[in-house]
Amino acid sequence: MPIELFVQALLNGFGLAVVYILVALGLTLIFSILEIINFAHGEFYMLGGFVTYYAFGVGGLPYLATLVLAVLAVGAAGILAERLVFRHLRGKTLNAFIVSLGLLWVLQASAQLSFGVLDKSVPSAIGGVVRVAGLVVSRERLMVILISAALIGGLYAFLKLTRTGQAMRAMAQDADAAALQGVDIELVSMLGFGIGCALAGAAGALLAPVFAVSPTMGALPVIKAFIIIIVGGMGSLPGAVLGGLLLGAVEGVGTLFMSSAAVNMLGFLMVIAILLVRPRGLLGAP
Amino acid sequence: MIGQRSLAALALFALTGSLAGGAGAAEKTLAIGVLGPLSGGAASYGVELVRGAEIKVDEINRAGGLRVGGDVYKIKLISYDHKAQAAEAATATNKLVFQDKVKYIMGNAVGATCNAAQTITEPNKVMFSFVCWGTSNLSPEKPYSFRSMLSQWELAEPFYRWVKETHPAIKRVAAISPNDTSGKDTNTAVVKALKALGFEVAADEYYERGTKDFYPILTKILAQKPDMIDVAAAPAGEAGLILKQAMELGFKGAKGWTAGTNPFTIISVAGPEAAEGVWSPCNINVKGDHVSAAVRKFGETYEKQYGEVPGVIAVANYAAFDVFTQAMQRAGSVDTDKVLEVMTRERFETVWGPLVIGGKETYGIDRQFLYPLVISEVRGGKVVDVAQVVPAALRKK
Repeated sequence: MPIELFVQALLNGFGLAVVYILVALGLTLIFSILEIINFAHGEFYMLGGFVTYYAFGVGGLPYLATLVLAVLAVGAAGILAERLVFRHLRGKTLNAFIVSLGLLWVLQASAQLSFGVLDKSVPSAIGGVVRVAGLVVSRERLMVILISAALIGGLYAFLKLTRTGQAMRAMAQDADAAALQGVDIELVSMLGFGIGCALAGAAGALLAPVFAVSPTMGALPVIKAFIIIIVGGMGSLPGAVLGGLLLGAVEGVGTLFMSSAAVNMLGFLMVIAILLVRPRGLLGAP
Repeated sequence: MIGQRSLAALALFALTGSLAGGAGAAEKTLAIGVLGPLSGGAASYGVELVRGAEIKVDEINRAGGLRVGGDVYKIKLISYDHKAQAAEAATATNKLVFQDKVKYIMGNAVGATCNAAQTITEPNKVMFSFVCWGTSNLSPEKPYSFRSMLSQWELAEPFYRWVKETHPAIKRVAAISPNDTSGKDTNTAVVKALKALGFEVAADEYYERGTKDFYPILTKILAQKPDMIDVAAAPAGEAGLILKQAMELGFKGAKGWTAGTNPFTIISVAGPEAAEGVWSPCNINVKGDHVSAAVRKFGETYEKQYGEVPGVIAVANYAAFDVFTQAMQRAGSVDTDKVLEVMTRERFETVWGPLVIGGKETYGIDRQFLYPLVISEVRGGKVVDVAQVVPAALRKK
């Protein structure tokens, strides 16, 4: 097999993995701070896609401004969801899981009624391709990779260097101790949920021009996100990045040797293997 | 002598009697089911099925209803979304047959869902017409099932014969379809036609429905250097993404869409540049030169009502209603056995023109609607008809 084919396959896999890492980071951030597994997370990804469709595709707003709008709008939707639905379920994992399933169906059905069921195409944000040493990547996907990487880096810097970020990390370690240290639990929970959803919204906005938008577009990214955070370690942000890159590599290269059905199984096989061998995930806390 | 009261009573009786006699035929409701994927990647099929049915039913009901025998039927449509999943299709069919008590289900798409529905429709003698492309959807064991749209078995050979005659430089063809009954049967028919006509099969690939990222599978396909990619049984949304991403990866060859039911949709998803040159033998261009006045009128009504140009699936389901309602009227009954007998012996006038039901040489039973096919090409963002060919089965009739 030519080496360029192998490298192209890896590039294909990583290219999409960085976006799914964004979704996974949002999911794991919410879990680490609020101990809530949000099954409706994919619907916030979908909302980001539809904000992009209407603002950029229909309204003609410049793409980067649309991206900022999508992040803010979906972040605000996340804060609303936390205030109205999830704030009373902090720490109650099973109840929150069931409620989030209900929220998933409500948001999806509402989107079908509001936006229609058919796929809607979003114009490309940037055209053309880049060719280097036999490898090909569209400029649009390259932009998606760079912006996703910037957002991942920005999240890391926020959590490491800002007071609010440190408060979130404190809450993730021990909410009671954080409260005793003067952390405003209500505010940090609200912001954490909002930021988590905003990351999903950003992912939806980034992929809307690449893949088109539909009310059910959130289903696949959230499945990938769950695979990523289980493999990487629930609540571990570096684990989510590692899990995402691993999934991207396995699926990208796997397509060269197997059918699509078999490739789809690979992620789930990784989950089963991790849960059997190292249940806390690659970088999860013991 | 008859008193005034008696005269009044007699007059009232006579008047009531005349009114009752003037009502004549009893008015009843005929519930007809429509199944389809009304959400998800294949939603374009289901939406067209329902809309084609709605237009025909509106016409019939506005004209006073369907007169069958001594009765007049108002038609009531009941539709369910099965999301292109076989299990959901079985649930929906159960509801239609046992809860809604329908004896006619007119419209379904996605082969695996047809198989699931037929486990209920056939034993219960429910007439079932669909556009599903699973080969096993028609068989002598399923006498109440009809396909109202040409399938891959009728389309692939004449389509690729035309490609060979008009574009002899095309030697290697790659086919890609969803990984299910419709997809596998379509690729099988395409590969069979390609080999019979002397083409090389560069790739015979499948993807899971709902896939958005086709870079991995296209990387594998393009490594085989095909002259042409046929997005075969992919629905419009996914076909458009495949073509767009193939163009991004540098593919500059010919493009085909054997199951291209609505090239207008693929233009909007892929973009005019990626869709440029796509050939499709399956669609009907309601604004083209090869269609009847009836199809053109249907297209205008559809576009006015729904704001979109219809594809072949909408026309096919509209025509199916034509055929079945004519058969009911000729049978003088809505009983499915009596209607079936009429359907198997008579010809019908529809939007396609004279319609023949055939297909015995492929399926073992004549249950396939046959009509001439038109090959179209996307040029400059528009759909242009380039050739009209007749399926082999119709040539023999």
